[in-house]
Amino acid sequence: MLDPLYRRFPAILMAKRNLTRTKSRSVLASLGIVIGVIAIASLGMFGVALEYSISSQLGDLGNQVTVSPDQEAGVQKLTERDIQKIRRAAGPTASVSPVKQTVERVTYDRGRSRNELIYGIDDPASVYNASEGRIPDPFQSGVLVGEDVAEDEELQPGNTITVNGTSMRVRAVLGSTSSYSQLNPENRIYLPVTSFEQRGYQQVYVTAESGAAANESAMAIRERLNGREQRVVVQELGSLVDQINETFQVVNTVLVGIAAISLFVAGISILNVMLMSTVERREEIGVLRAVGYQKLDVLKVMLMEATLLGVFGGVVGVFVSAFVGLAINHYTVEDVTATFRLINLWYLLIAFAFAIVVSILSGLYPAWKAANEEPVDALRG
Amino acid sequence: MTVIDARDLIKRYRTGGRTLEALKGVDFALEPGEFVSVMGPSGSGKTTLLNILGLLATPTEGQLLLEDRDVTDLNDRKRTLLRKRAIGFVFQHFYLLPTLSAVENVEVPRLFDRDRGREARARDLLTRVGLGDRLEHRPDQLSGGQKQRVAIARSLINDPKIVLADEPTGSLDQETGRQILDEFRRIADEQGVGIIAVTHDELVNEYVDRTFHLVDGEFRWVTLDA
Repeated sequence: MLDPLYRRFPAILMAKRNLTRTKSRSVLASLGIVIGVIAIASLGMFGVALEYSISSQLGDLGNQVTVSPDQEAGVQKLTERDIQKIRRAAGPTASVSPVKQTVERVTYDRGRSRNELIYGIDDPASVYNASEGRIPDPFQSGVLVGEDVAEDEELQPGNTITVNGTSMRVRAVLGSTSSYSQLNPENRIYLPVTSFEQRGYQQVYVTAESGAAANESAMAIRERLNGREQRVVVQELGSLVDQINETFQVVNTVLVGIAAISLFVAGISILNVMLMSTVERREEIGVLRAVGYQKLDVLKVMLMEATLLGVFGGVVGVFVSAFVGLAINHYTVEDVTATFRLINLWYLLIAFAFAIVVSILSGLYPAWKAANEEPVDALRG
Repeated sequence: MTVIDARDLIKRYRTGGRTLEALKGVDFALEPGEFVSVMGPSGSGKTTLLNILGLLATPTEGQLLLEDRDVTDLNDRKRTLLRKRAIGFVFQHFYLLPTLSAVENVEVPRLFDRDRGREARARDLLTRVGLGDRLEHRPDQLSGGQKQRVAIARSLINDPKIVLADEPTGSLDQETGRQILDEFRRIADEQGVGIIAVTHDELVNEYVDRTFHLVDGEFRWVTLDA
């Protein structure tokens, strides 16, 4: 099967035969490469899986902007005028949800009563999806509860709770969004903003179409509202997401870097094996030179041996790493097919390429040494 | 015409501050088809002479002509190329590659050439030295005499002008040694290859045209047609 290959590249034939001469030594040398490749590829893939699972929790935070009154500048609430400005600054495609907050006495069906933070929202249908029931649009009466509240208090649409002495019907249970989002409704209670007596708003959520649009909105809002005096604090979650991603990339690079050390160790073991074999085969190499092999030819044969060790180790390593990747993705993101994402294939490829490069580099010195041996000295024994 | 012509070869080595003169002005010429031996005690400079004639080493002084071309001062690359084109080597310890079959061993000198007829030629050479039934055997499956025949076939793969043999019978019993010497004789006669055998073995002298006796780096006498 390999005969045409050997005919074309006789160095491969000679190299392969030489390696099989000391089988266990060759296998051990490439075992180092196997381990190095597995370390690089699986740590890389592990990092990817981790990042993937975190960012899927973070969800689409990137397109959210939170505007709150700048309490340090003495602003306690955002006025209707501020809201108008924010709406204009954010543009027509972004949805703007002003929120009021107050603490009220809440009594649930089962008779327990607690002080709870109550949110007033203007237009919940544009921000949330209902997991049960239907979000009224416009939202003028009733109450919306998050999933955790619903679960804890065994609420479902149609039940009633009492807020500050007024009995209210639960209209819908809000589906949770990403857990890191400030909008996440899972343990909140929402009332129509019209039912609040207080005038100002505590927070405004702006949801843009994309991360870039969110960034533009944030800048426009800052410009408009903080122009003359400092009134609001604008937080972009996108930059937070970017930071998290950057941190992960650093962690990942460090991990892969540590793994790369194992490949260097593997390279040293190849160097060692090759040096031993040049000493053992001194006479053979001398004969090759005597019968007309140029230094370069000897170099080729020796380098080919190192390369074959690397290829063998690399192939086995990639094969094992692929399985490790399947396992990692099965246990972390619970999605085995995530293994075949492009970036994981990149890690496999990089690990393989690195294995080959390390092997060739390690073979360089022994090969050079063998090639430069004087045939006369070598044949004298 | 001579295949190889050495004029006044001098080789000096420096060892530990002392200069050792291994060859002290050796003249030597070989005709095509001639089979000669160089005899002498160890330390007489035989191996040095063989290395210089085989373009494995350069003389300190003197001149070396290969087919009337001055090859004394060529660089390593050119000497290597000339060795390949014109010179075959046979060694006492055969030096076959243990991982290659007989045919592959014969092919070794030309392995890096684009050469379609190489394998057929190797088979043919092995058949001619009587190993037609051992083509695919590895060296460890061959006897000493068979290994030396493989080595002879290898030395002939490039159609050399000269074959240099370093103690070719040194590792063989007398009977096998005779067969190998017969082989050399036949190659010299039939193919017109000049053969130089460096040896201790008196047996060789029964087969050669001339014997050069080397003592202390000088030819002391030459025996003709023993």
